[in-house]
Amino acid sequence: MLKAQKGYEPKRRYLREKIALFFVRSSGIFTMAVMAFILIYIVGHGISAISFSFLTEFPKDNMTAGGIFPAILGTLILALGALLTAIPLGFGAAIYLAEYARPGPLVSAIRLGVANLAGVPSVVFGLFGLALFVTEFGFGRSILSGSLTLGLLILPTVTAAAEEALRQTPQSFREAALALGASRWQAIRQVVLPAALPGMLTGAILALGRAAGETAPIIFTASAAYTLAMPDSVFREVMALSTHILNLATNGTHIEETRPQQFGSALVLLILVLGLSLVAIIIRAKLKRGRKW
Amino acid sequence: MVEEKKEKVIIRAKNVDFYYGDFHALKNISLDCMEKEVTAMIGPSGCGKSTFLKLLNRMNDFVPGARLSGEVTISGESIYGPNADPVDIRRRVGMVFQRPNPFPKSIYDNITYGPKLIGIKKPDLDVIVERALKAAALWDEVKDLLNKSALELSGGQQQRVCIARALALEPDILLMDEPTSALDPIATSKVEEWIKTAELSIVIVTHNMQQAARISDKTAFFFLGELIEFGPTLELFTRPRESKTENYITGRFG
Ligand SMILES: Nc1ncnc2c1ncn2[C@@H]1O[C@H](COP(=O)(O)OP(=O)(O)O)[C@@H](O)[C@H]1O
Ligand SMILES: [Mg+2]
Repeated sequence: MLKAQKGYEPKRRYLREKIALFFVRSSGIFTMAVMAFILIYIVGHGISAISFSFLTEFPKDNMTAGGIFPAILGTLILALGALLTAIPLGFGAAIYLAEYARPGPLVSAIRLGVANLAGVPSVVFGLFGLALFVTEFGFGRSILSGSLTLGLLILPTVTAAAEEALRQTPQSFREAALALGASRWQAIRQVVLPAALPGMLTGAILALGRAAGETAPIIFTASAAYTLAMPDSVFREVMALSTHILNLATNGTHIEETRPQQFGSALVLLILVLGLSLVAIIIRAKLKRGRKW
Repeated sequence: MVEEKKEKVIIRAKNVDFYYGDFHALKNISLDCMEKEVTAMIGPSGCGKSTFLKLLNRMNDFVPGARLSGEVTISGESIYGPNADPVDIRRRVGMVFQRPNPFPKSIYDNITYGPKLIGIKKPDLDVIVERALKAAALWDEVKDLLNKSALELSGGQQQRVCIARALALEPDILLMDEPTSALDPIATSKVEEWIKTAELSIVIVTHNMQQAARISDKTAFFFLGELIEFGPTLELFTRPRESKTENYITGRFG
């Protein structure tokens, strides 16, 4: 047997092993602790504000009382609008990239575009939405402008997740359909898409979970400080949870009095966002169990 | 196995060369398959068997950079000519793949996929499903499970669903690429049994020589992209003309 050189004796190896383990485990625990702290902090401060009327009523008395119903509704509407924007575009691009595209300058350009779009700060999307949708297209600050802006924000993530889901459907499905006389598009629409769709939707919903809590993209494009009525068209402004929190915490004369409302709104937003992720996780788990390829 | 059949050429390949980009995958292949016969293709892996099979239903069209020269006719019509329609060819020439690849749909929807593509509707579809499953010797096992997902069947049953799915279009020819290599012995013998009794022209790739000997009328031996020897199965296995064939069937390489 070869003799271990100085510095390589078993004892030293065990020591290094222990030190390494200590550091990586500490990092893990720290990450979990941060998460737990945020959760406990928000729940602790927000839970007292939450009641049935808080969730179902309009704000009152300069927002120091009443509920946040229009903000919850607004966030949900904007989220839905963002999905309706990002899904056709993102799924379309993903189908092109995964099913049709052959390596070349066009594909490289699309990939570069998608990758760069993902790195653009959300406030830039907000300004872009303001310039294009609100002003140039004349949609004003509205559900439409906000949905389009949020939709563009999640577009790269939606595209990337959808492409991945398409690539995971077995090549053999496509071969089988083509060999039975299907055209390329028939094979995609009838066989590949149904198989990939749950995965594609999961990706879209996860992306949305992130975007639903964003403030910057909607602050110039969609959100009102205060609305009295339910929105009756896509050209109306809406309140949203994220911008509501921002307004209460930074504007006006009642910053201290509205602390409970601020934390209550933050808690509701957190639950909504986690709820969306949970939906995505459940779909994914169902999908994993149901599929045998 | 070799009782007299009406000798009529159904597939004719003449001086076929095939390239994947610069790679010369098939070299000057000429071969005739007879109607209602089983033609087996054997040879070491990578010798071009699948390539040859896939050019018979133009599945090679989807490979970027693939190129063919020479002539391939089916029932006398050129399938690479200017008037040939690849989709139409794939309906006339069915294909069964190496791994069973049913769609993640019900058995019924699997079988009716091809017929629905050409606009066939409900009452007729039921008839087609029954006939195709009977032809694939699977009807008795699944007739009460038609709405069950095909993925829940055993491997051998899945492969017969794939056979039935191909048969539903009533093709003249069925191409099979190592259709039993992913199956256990019992499932294999069911599929082999089916091949032997099928009233159909079949071209089957196999790297199991015993299987070729058991089920085929003619055997073609490929080696490094060339067709080394082609003839009646019994002759090829008992009195090979070429030394390469003899070396291969006696297991000296491959
Ligand atoms: N799509 C492809 N692109 C490039 N080369 C290929 C492709 N498919 C097969 N080949 C090559 O062609 C040769 C024959 O392959 P194949 O027909 O699959 O052989 P076999 O089925 O006899 O094992 C192999 O050398 C293989 O690497
Ligand atoms: Mg092969």
